[in-house]
Amino acid sequence: MFDRIIAAAASRWFRLVLVSLLVLSLQTTLFSEVRPFGYAIQILAIFVASAGATHDVYVGAIAGLVSGFMYDAILATPLGISALVLGVVGATAALMLQPFRDPTWWLRLLVIGVAAALGEVVTPLLKAVVGLDGWLEWRILGAMSVTFFAALVFAAPMISLARWTLREKAIYGSR
Amino acid sequence: MAQNKTSLRRAIVLLALASVFFITLDLSDSSSTSQIRRVFSTVFSPIENVSRVVTRPLGGAWNAFREYDDVVAENNRLQEQVALQEGAAVAAAASVRLSQELLALNGLPTLAGINSVTAQVIGETPTNFSQTVEINQGSNSGVKVGMPVLNAAGLIGKVTEVFADRSLVMLVSDPDYALSVKVVTMSSRTPITLPPLETQDAPSVDSVLDTADTTTSTSTTTTTTTILGFTPSATTVPAEVVAGGGSNITVPLASQLAVRETGILEGRGPGVRPIVRFLDASTRASAIEVGAPIVSSGGSRSLAPPDVVIGVVSRVVERLGTAGPILEIDLVADLSNLSFLRVLLYQPITESGR
Repeated sequence: MFDRIIAAAASRWFRLVLVSLLVLSLQTTLFSEVRPFGYAIQILAIFVASAGATHDVYVGAIAGLVSGFMYDAILATPLGISALVLGVVGATAALMLQPFRDPTWWLRLLVIGVAAALGEVVTPLLKAVVGLDGWLEWRILGAMSVTFFAALVFAAPMISLARWTLREKAIYGSR
Repeated sequence: MAQNKTSLRRAIVLLALASVFFITLDLSDSSSTSQIRRVFSTVFSPIENVSRVVTRPLGGAWNAFREYDDVVAENNRLQEQVALQEGAAVAAAASVRLSQELLALNGLPTLAGINSVTAQVIGETPTNFSQTVEINQGSNSGVKVGMPVLNAAGLIGKVTEVFADRSLVMLVSDPDYALSVKVVTMSSRTPITLPPLETQDAPSVDSVLDTADTTTSTSTTTTTTTILGFTPSATTVPAEVVAGGGSNITVPLASQLAVRETGILEGRGPGVRPIVRFLDASTRASAIEVGAPIVSSGGSRSLAPPDVVIGVVSRVVERLGTAGPILEIDLVADLSNLSFLRVLLYQPITESGR
């Protein structure tokens, strides 16, 4: 019993929850204050895109859905919207790199930037679908640009973090 | 490996279905989603607080780098403004007090009668697609969902989520925000000036709103009120108007009094002025002047008590056909620079029970 608890605590999904909490705390503190050109940098989306870019579609999607639920829980928007958006971001990052057997570092950065920026389009779209109109405006382009360039800056540390978080090797309780 | 992928696929489908389920639940105002948020907030708050302390120097450095020159310029400008407005503020405070006394004497509701809680903004929205701020007062201080939030200038929004010791406030500029308001416009017709009156034709004190050089004798009365926040002082009213003093009396026409048009204020996102759509499509755009004040209309189903200052009309957009005009509003509160706020402990009927 104790071994199983230790094994669960050492699993990559448990690590994902803990690391997502940390990244989310950065999102709600530092990155809600640091706003280049008035737009908030979506560090959580960059982390999820990094998870997708360093693993496969399934891992990217799950990382996005789990992190998104946490993001939703602290926002005033309907619970589940950010989960779907970040799920799409994680899966898209992985899908875009699928055709490449061994993608170069800069290609990974670009893909993370594009996938994270895509989240800034999907969010207002999904909000409009559920009846929360008013966000589909030209300022989306500004939000996308800021997220894209921020991703180029923060992708390298986020890739390392995503690799460490989602590595499959169990530390305890491997059977 | 294949089994692993199948279980991952199942997890994705499950999580995606859970998302759709929770969106549906949340949009139907289910209390269970609020419960989930409250539990998560309890877990997340300590982590967020630690992160806030650790990252504060970085945020400060960023703000210093970006805004130092602006802050210095603004400080100089504000010092000048403060000097200019010190005298005006004293006169305005006296007018407000007088207005509250008159409202109280007539049994009308005033803001002074509503308790409030002072709160500080502790966080801004982390997304680009919602206009909210986080404040450091919650249900422990009596804050409830739907309560209006003001700063020193005027209305800034309403409480949308409440936790034990913090709350989320949706700003007026959020596209999901709507509030019934009234536009106070002044008629441009000139008042009539009456010749000196014979004694038997003298108007009562109530009907004379503005008199000049009229000889009066006065009496002083002391009133009491149940309204919190101020102590009524002695009110001096003229006991009788002595006519025939040889001067003219200016009486405003009924049409000269303020005209009130009611409409719905809607936010349009950051950096875009909110608008007012009229309930009455027959409202003429020419009847509304740029600069006319916008205040909350109040009423049993309104989200805010009456006469909370919101802003002034900055542009009147006329529309073709029977569609009434749309007003663009300059908010009196600066939503980009919020610090100390006041939550009115007034929960609208429409939000009660949340």
